[in-house]
Amino acid sequence: MAEEYVFQFSSSAYLEKLSGKQACNLDELLKLIESCTLSSISYHTFSALRKFREVHAPYTNDLAVWISRNLHEESLSEKFGAINLTEYNTIESLKTRIVDIIKDFRDQNPPAFQKKADEPFYLCDVTRIVYLTDKFAYNLKSFREVLDSISINSLYFHFIESRLYNQLHLDDISTWIEQSLGLNKLAQSIRNIDINVYTLNEIRAKIAQLIDEHLNKLNTKPTV
Amino acid sequence: MNIPTLSDYKSVVGRDDIEELYILASHVGNRSIKMVNSTATGGGVVEMLHRVVPLLNELGVETKWEVIKGGSDFFDITKAFHNALQGNEEALPREAFNTYLAYNEMNSQEMDFDEDLIVIHDPQPAALIQLPLHRKNKWVWRCHIDMSHPNQQVWEFLRPYIEQYDAAIFSSPLFSPELSIPQYRFYPAIDPLADKNRDLDVTYINSTLEKYKIPRDKPIITQISRYDPWKDPVGVIQAFKIARKNVDCRLLLVGDKAADDPEAEAILTKVKEEAKDDPDIHIIFLTHSIPTEINAFQRASDIILQKSIREGFALTVSEALWKYRPVIGGSVGGIPAQIIHGFTGMLVHSVEGASLQIRTLLSQPELAKRLGENGHQRVKDEFLITKSLKRYLLLLLALDHPGQDKISLT
Repeated sequence: MAEEYVFQFSSSAYLEKLSGKQACNLDELLKLIESCTLSSISYHTFSALRKFREVHAPYTNDLAVWISRNLHEESLSEKFGAINLTEYNTIESLKTRIVDIIKDFRDQNPPAFQKKADEPFYLCDVTRIVYLTDKFAYNLKSFREVLDSISINSLYFHFIESRLYNQLHLDDISTWIEQSLGLNKLAQSIRNIDINVYTLNEIRAKIAQLIDEHLNKLNTKPTV
Repeated sequence: MNIPTLSDYKSVVGRDDIEELYILASHVGNRSIKMVNSTATGGGVVEMLHRVVPLLNELGVETKWEVIKGGSDFFDITKAFHNALQGNEEALPREAFNTYLAYNEMNSQEMDFDEDLIVIHDPQPAALIQLPLHRKNKWVWRCHIDMSHPNQQVWEFLRPYIEQYDAAIFSSPLFSPELSIPQYRFYPAIDPLADKNRDLDVTYINSTLEKYKIPRDKPIITQISRYDPWKDPVGVIQAFKIARKNVDCRLLLVGDKAADDPEAEAILTKVKEEAKDDPDIHIIFLTHSIPTEINAFQRASDIILQKSIREGFALTVSEALWKYRPVIGGSVGGIPAQIIHGFTGMLVHSVEGASLQIRTLLSQPELAKRLGENGHQRVKDEFLITKSLKRYLLLLLALDHPGQDKISLT
């Protein structure tokens, strides 16, 4: 039976790296982005999902915020803010998209490239460290029981960061529920949770709610 | 009160966060760290070391802390270095550099550096670094000060020493110069269970204010920081005086002095001149501050100011946010990392800006409350001592895997 597949929870931590490099206008930003590491792109986009969300700041990614606050180019900021990170399963493709957005904007708004930013954009990078925890789930019920006790970092790893590691558009949690437990509908509902909108604790609550609803339905199903 | 152990932090940050520290520590293994700085009293670095050192030991990382020795001539020079690296353009004479190196050499002869990781804090002991060929361990320089506009004479003198380290740590990308070595960002952190931050009885808060003769008849605006020109205590008084034209309030300035700071008395004189015996301005100079009293002053305040014009990080901001206080901070150094303008506090760039935000927050208590609540969450996420412990563990792991952007521990 599918439920014999064990889900061992991992977690991740990151050490922020500084480069000493900065951009004071869009031209410099484009050069920084083109030449920077993929982990830098990951830091300035995906990492933002766990940086400020918990304090309810409308923070999408570092590029969108810097362009709005320091260059006051709101339409370009909105283009970056609207990037749906779930559509990218490799950082290479995300980097290409970012470069294309800036180049398209340059073609349409050459004067914007003459503007000097109020404050520079500081290029950062990250070292990510992934480790196993001592928490396991053996079936949906035990997964639900453990879900409340895993750290925010563990949730971030399995629901957001894992998409980059397995190069699929899918998170670990819904994949396990679908492939190991055979619960396709529940998996799809979990996949539909918008990572661009909710805080991590809200995501945890959404997943818990969906699982609870599923388990309740099973419990109330009349026996034949 | 007993010294808190790691287990005590479970109720503050959650059991899962502490469990993950132990998992990371198990991957680090039996390692040792030596922290080196220039003073055992006063300032945020000392407060942090007092807590990080025993807690790292509890995690199984044998950690020691040593303070370098120096005469008043050395500390006068290192204070000048400190000011220069924070932007003072005054040139230093050649002898100052020679004296600095002589004291570092003297300390180097007297100390041993057998630990796996040596963490040198700030510029005072930076020249202790041994040549890479002569060492088997890792050395990291941790800079706690605002290096956004360093005096080039002093920075170019220090840079060759810094670039001999295995890595450097800064609290903000604003301070990060282009270096030939890896650089990491470590936020400083506060200890939520220390006397300075733990919950207090209302009676103790009231009695502390009575002790210092501070009436509770009107809102209290407070700045707590060393008497130092970079903290702009004179600007704080000016902002208060402008705001008071619209909102009735008191100003409380509380500061101590670090053992390595010879300038505090002179700044205090300037502050008193600006205050002109105003009965609503309370200037408290503490030679040795009592942490629970600082805690009481913060909890009794309606607004906390940290109107710095140069700043390393300003742990006082995190302390106040942890206590759900609305904070108005200068938009410098590490303060914007703590204050997301309009969400976890208010950032200002001038005396006038500070006065406007005092008026705004005193007139809009709901806004002030929301900023305080968000600020508390922000500190919980990033600026607690448990996060510092984690960063040291991650640093040890990262130094073992140079050049890797992803490390999988199994």
